[in-house]
Amino acid sequence: MKRSRTAALLLMSTAPLLLTACDSNKSREGLYTSVEACVAQTNDSNTCGQAFAKAEQEAVTSGPRFDNRQACEADWGEEKCTERKDSSNHSFFGPLMTGFFLSQMMRNGNAVSGFNSAPAFRDSRGGWQRPATGGASGGVYRGTAGTGMVPINATPNRAVTSSRSGFGKSSSSRGFGS
Amino acid sequence: MRRVALAERPDWRAKAADCGFGFHTIDDAPYWDESAYYAFTLREIEQDIEAPTEELHAMAMDMVERVVGSEQHMQQLAIPEPHRDWIAQSWRERQPHLYGRMDFAYDGTGPAKLYELNYDTPTSLFEAAFFQWQWLEDQLARNQLPAGSDQFNSIQESLVEAFSVIARRIARPFHFSAVRDSTEDQGTIAYLRDCAQQAGIECGTLAIEDIGISEDGRFTDLDDQVIGCLFKLYPLEDMFREAFGQHLPRSGIQLIEPPWKAVLSNKGILPLLWDAHRGHPNLLPAEFDNGGELPRGWVRKPLHSREGANIVMHLADGQQVHTEGPYDGACIRQTCQPLTSFDGNYPLIGSWVVGDRACGIGIREDQSPVTQDSARFVPHAIVEQARSVLIA
Repeated sequence: MKRSRTAALLLMSTAPLLLTACDSNKSREGLYTSVEACVAQTNDSNTCGQAFAKAEQEAVTSGPRFDNRQACEADWGEEKCTERKDSSNHSFFGPLMTGFFLSQMMRNGNAVSGFNSAPAFRDSRGGWQRPATGGASGGVYRGTAGTGMVPINATPNRAVTSSRSGFGKSSSSRGFGS
Repeated sequence: MRRVALAERPDWRAKAADCGFGFHTIDDAPYWDESAYYAFTLREIEQDIEAPTEELHAMAMDMVERVVGSEQHMQQLAIPEPHRDWIAQSWRERQPHLYGRMDFAYDGTGPAKLYELNYDTPTSLFEAAFFQWQWLEDQLARNQLPAGSDQFNSIQESLVEAFSVIARRIARPFHFSAVRDSTEDQGTIAYLRDCAQQAGIECGTLAIEDIGISEDGRFTDLDDQVIGCLFKLYPLEDMFREAFGQHLPRSGIQLIEPPWKAVLSNKGILPLLWDAHRGHPNLLPAEFDNGGELPRGWVRKPLHSREGANIVMHLADGQQVHTEGPYDGACIRQTCQPLTSFDGNYPLIGSWVVGDRACGIGIREDQSPVTQDSARFVPHAIVEQARSVLIA
């Protein structure tokens, strides 16, 4: 069969929907620039320390790798790169870990044991990224979709807007699709 | 490939209303047209459209690698200098992409010929992925199509799958954005948002005109939240040159389609593909336009024209056809491959690529050989001919 097995609409349809939302088990995620900042937020110095140590290790094993310092600095900014050695003692360059990411499952407001952590790197555009973990490739993609770095969205980001309407001036009533 | 007349479903307008398909009629002119359909054989679909689409897609992706590494190619494609590094970086990071559409001239006889890639803001998506699918299911249920008829259309399934694959690489908050007053574009982003939600991704919508900028150069939504990822149904090249465009490279915003799509949504990709794969059966000879006289048998297209605007065709018989439009600037030339007439209609095959998979087609036909925004969307089916049914 060359067509979708089924094609339903959730929001566009006027038919009644069945949507289940799962709110009871939320996770707490944070991006911290130091163990102290982490403790201040979570009150859990043990987990923060372990998360930091694990992230430091992972920065070497899963962080971006470059053959030379120039290539690394092109992506991560001047003086933001350091020389590292992998397990077979081959040297490479990678960005300095500038923070770490911690995520914990919460139950009734308390953290459940266990955590996920990852190193965080600030790229030359000011965005935070961490290594992608496995499993994000495949499907309709030929393998490149899930490799490399992923953005971190843990920081609540607010900014005072100074102006709007800077996009859309080329618009026409017919729109822009093609 | 045949054009077959078929009675409309009596209730299709009500069905369109039910699923929010508000633009089936545009400016009083029909857009969705199910008074006929195109019938293909499975061989035509798989060998003549699906396989070439995947092959051309791979060739196009390889070409991105070459273009972003070449100042000369970036120049040829008129990609603005301040955005070049940002575009190249987005490719090095393989920032996730979602979809694209190739337009083919095809009539069932020779190889499909690639007119162009719509790899940045392709539309006619909802009608191809959903409403066309529903048409087939309904007409099968009403016994109006040969039993076992199928359709080359797993577009919706592929979209939901694509969103779930890239979910973890999409920065939040994630907004779908289009021009506020365009019914058609708003319909397209409503549909894409529906697919994203089916993949479990929280997302909102935002008019492109409502996007804000903060003093430190980050893009904001109406709640002053910094936008993590913006799906923009709005041309990259227009964003580049508008007031906020200068802020894009340093704003930290993630775009879908990503900046590197500026290379593929550009008709300059056509001569580059032809140079690299001269004689490929699915490519038309193409070159960058030198401004000289357009010879017979050639078409001139601006690098950034959409909806068939600003095209000059110099037909083999000497006749010249111009279309109006707002585009100017550098052009390419492509040899003229006129669409074949089916009872006075000229169908253009839009072949969808979601992620990296060819997953369906939508056909738009016009009463003139240049498909424009007056075209009507006509559904299709895969219908095996009687002989092969007997063998099976």
